[in-house]
Amino acid sequence: MTDRILRTLRRLGVVAALLALAMPVRAQRLLVPMDDAQTDHLKAYGLTYNTIKTGMPAEWLLNYRGGAFLLPDTPELRKRAALDGIAIEPVNDAQLAEIRREMAGGNMEAVPLEKAPRIAVYTPRDAQPWDDAVTLALNYAGIDFTPVYDDEVERGDLSKFDWLHLHHEDFTGQFNKFNLGYRDAPWFRALVATSADAARRLGFANVPALKKDVAEHIRQFVDRGGFLFAMCGATETLELAIAGHSVDIAGDFADGTPMDPDGDAKMDWSRALAFHNAHLEHSPYVNSMSDIDGHQVNVPGRRQPLGTFTLFNFSAKFDPVPSMLVQDHRSVISDFYGVTTSFTKATLKPGDVVLATEEGASWVKYIHGDYGKGTWTYLGGHDPEDPQHAIGNPPTELSLHRNSPGYRLILNNVLFPAARKKPLKT
Amino acid sequence: MPRVVHAQEEPPEVMRALDLESASRFREAALLFKHALDAKPTPGALLGLERVYAELRISDSLLPTLDSLIARDPREGLYRSVKLRTLQLLGRQAALRGAFEEWVAATPRDASPYREYARVLIQLGQPSAADSIVRRASAALGGSGQMEYETAQLRAAEGQWEASAESWRRALVTAPQLAAAAAYALAPTPAASRDRIRQILCSPPVDAGSRRAAAELALNWGDATGAWEALRVLAPDSAAATAWTEFGERALAEERYAVARDALASALRVRSSPDLALEAATAALKAGSPTAVFSLAPLSMASDSTHAAVRFVPLHVAALAALGRGAEAETLVKRFDRWFAPGTRTAVAKLLASAWVRSGDLNRAREALSSAGSDADSSDAAGWLALYEGRLGDARVLMRGVREPGPELAVALGIVARTRGDSAPVLGNAFLTLARGDSAGAATRFTEAATEHAEAAPAILLVAARIDAARGAEPDALALWQRIVGAYGDSPEAAESELEWARLLRRRGDRAGAIAHLEHLILNAPDSALLPQARRELELAKGTVPSP
Repeated sequence: MTDRILRTLRRLGVVAALLALAMPVRAQRLLVPMDDAQTDHLKAYGLTYNTIKTGMPAEWLLNYRGGAFLLPDTPELRKRAALDGIAIEPVNDAQLAEIRREMAGGNMEAVPLEKAPRIAVYTPRDAQPWDDAVTLALNYAGIDFTPVYDDEVERGDLSKFDWLHLHHEDFTGQFNKFNLGYRDAPWFRALVATSADAARRLGFANVPALKKDVAEHIRQFVDRGGFLFAMCGATETLELAIAGHSVDIAGDFADGTPMDPDGDAKMDWSRALAFHNAHLEHSPYVNSMSDIDGHQVNVPGRRQPLGTFTLFNFSAKFDPVPSMLVQDHRSVISDFYGVTTSFTKATLKPGDVVLATEEGASWVKYIHGDYGKGTWTYLGGHDPEDPQHAIGNPPTELSLHRNSPGYRLILNNVLFPAARKKPLKT
Repeated sequence: MPRVVHAQEEPPEVMRALDLESASRFREAALLFKHALDAKPTPGALLGLERVYAELRISDSLLPTLDSLIARDPREGLYRSVKLRTLQLLGRQAALRGAFEEWVAATPRDASPYREYARVLIQLGQPSAADSIVRRASAALGGSGQMEYETAQLRAAEGQWEASAESWRRALVTAPQLAAAAAYALAPTPAASRDRIRQILCSPPVDAGSRRAAAELALNWGDATGAWEALRVLAPDSAAATAWTEFGERALAEERYAVARDALASALRVRSSPDLALEAATAALKAGSPTAVFSLAPLSMASDSTHAAVRFVPLHVAALAALGRGAEAETLVKRFDRWFAPGTRTAVAKLLASAWVRSGDLNRAREALSSAGSDADSSDAAGWLALYEGRLGDARVLMRGVREPGPELAVALGIVARTRGDSAPVLGNAFLTLARGDSAGAATRFTEAATEHAEAAPAILLVAARIDAARGAEPDALALWQRIVGAYGDSPEAAESELEWARLLRRRGDRAGAIAHLEHLILNAPDSALLPQARRELELAKGTVPSP
């Protein structure tokens, strides 16, 4: 009878922590379902992250119930889940054994999560007229992070962190070419002024020179074993800044000199993480950096419409890392624009792992790869729940999107470094 | 060379096509529109063909027709703008740009091509490109004066709110009908910039279009008083009366009664009419200024006694009731009694009873209900009277049969249902004190009644707390919430009390205290209907979601 009620409640999506709290006897484990039974997918990541941060063990059950988590059954975790409205299901040893039997027979794998990564987000101190989906997600999920910017990077502080996120930054130092539409906007003038001050203070001739050096620090961070997750324009411009380390790739409005007309030929793509053979956009009047982005949202005549992208299915037992990155309760997700929305297939390096793509399109959405001792992951677009995001729009209210499949991709990236120490089978 | 003819000259064929279009017979309509266009180009025929081709999803078929019309009359703006729209619809960006350039070449001193193309680019979400068109227009036309509307839209699309407001301010001087468009475009302005937007739109000299936009914006941003301040300075003429009436009616619908009263009263001074007078008086009554009812809607405005009895007298009796002037209300009711319909008589009797209640004379109140017949005497008003007199048994029976339940009744029923016995004079007196408008006294009486009725104490105390909170006596309300949470922690009222307590702490800046109470509430009342509100408050207190 009780089982039937529980099944019914689960179908209704309300097997919540409240039920667990009401149960007087502690089970051995708490299962955090990540399928449609979950009431707050985003906070479930925070619960798991903070579990391992306090030294308790956790497991990520790849491909089992939407990528569920298995946590110890403690009063504190039950309380946290109840407060955050996270659905949990107590499981005893017998139930757990059944789960493991089921997983052994399918494309599923249990990955131990051992150490919470130390998280840094590259973001300026002063508020900008756009929001960063990752900081929104981290704040909402209750995952602590440290903001870093040019001063900290130049000081070598990246070595203090395991995981680094980049979002809207233009590492070519051209301010995303916002001068084309916002040259008189107070926020744009302030951005240019503070960036120029920072360049002078840190001993660089101009902003492009500073940003190139910051990009080089980030490249070295990954090379030494760091985890990099980038979205939006930071993906494309980081690559351009790294490959164009010795080339003038900035327009004259940014550094006082025009771009090198032979810039394309001088780019050193062997230094780049994800892309090669891309072509620079030489016109200062075209709001695009290169042909890496497939959607070209700010270029009349080139702008491509939004579609949907599909997450690839990987072997959980043999490819646990890409499997972790695509854990989701939806496999087809609506696309969303950003300064860089997608990545053209023609510019991908041969070793890149494509995690999500749009069927029939010449671009992909979500990619991953190794570089040196570290890894990088790029997700195109600005905000998964604000597909047409424009400058000045209010930030996304994540309590209204607690089951967002797009935001889950971001939080997969936060958690997967915790599993790194498990020996990989490939 | 044939020129496009005026709309009023539409031939019968076009009129027949419009009928077919209205009947969703698009193919037949298309044939007629096309035939009419070939015979004699008119705006109705061209625009009709554009619409029905779009319905049939064959908009590309319009292009050859347009090219032919343009070849015959290259300077006709209608053909050019329809072509831009069609190419936009078809997503042919390169051709769109080409059509714009051809239009500019045909009419180099005309602002229309720049305007139309900039609008298209804004709609396509390409503000940078639109900006370059606006700048090009300024250079070509010798200034941006003819592009203010497009500039305003563009700056808003770019999030340059102040620049947008400046352009709107200039555009609205000559095009006040764009006030609603301005308000719509500027509505997303972040809170920090809104004062500046208001200043720009309300800068001297006073201009009706800008003021209407400012008022609309202020109302959208929840500042009803500011909205009326923007409008009230208009010179009292016919246009102002229209603006005041529209604003007042919207404010009335949104239950912003004080500004609705002021706006409608101002309009009434310019344009006197019984309907407007009744609206203004209704707003005044709901705004808590019953005395104004008599001057805004005097009985003399009614066309005859029946009209007065149906529309004016109920309002006057309600105003007298609110003022506790039972004797005057009774005289008025008697004077118009023979013109009342039965339903009106019952309604007026209830109002009269409430007038006597307000003045503290429950006997006269009962008489008023009895004299109006059995309907009035067995109504919710009779139930309330029984409750005021402490006759709980009668109150239970009468109140359960109420046809129009409201929040006050739900609260009273909740308490009556939980209170044992058939007599409760102290509790009745508390409700009576509240009905008489003495909120401070009522809060005290309810607190006393809670001691008398321990079985319903948390519900009664919560009523007292709500009254204290509503009258701004936060310390008194807080003491009651604390008492409910402390002494009646298992009661249904404990959750609401703790939620309100936490909200108060958050407003006072005590985030830690608010978080502690919200967590306690969520963990201890997991079945409460208030849980979503509590979680939302917890997010706000922790700062994990942006403050609204």
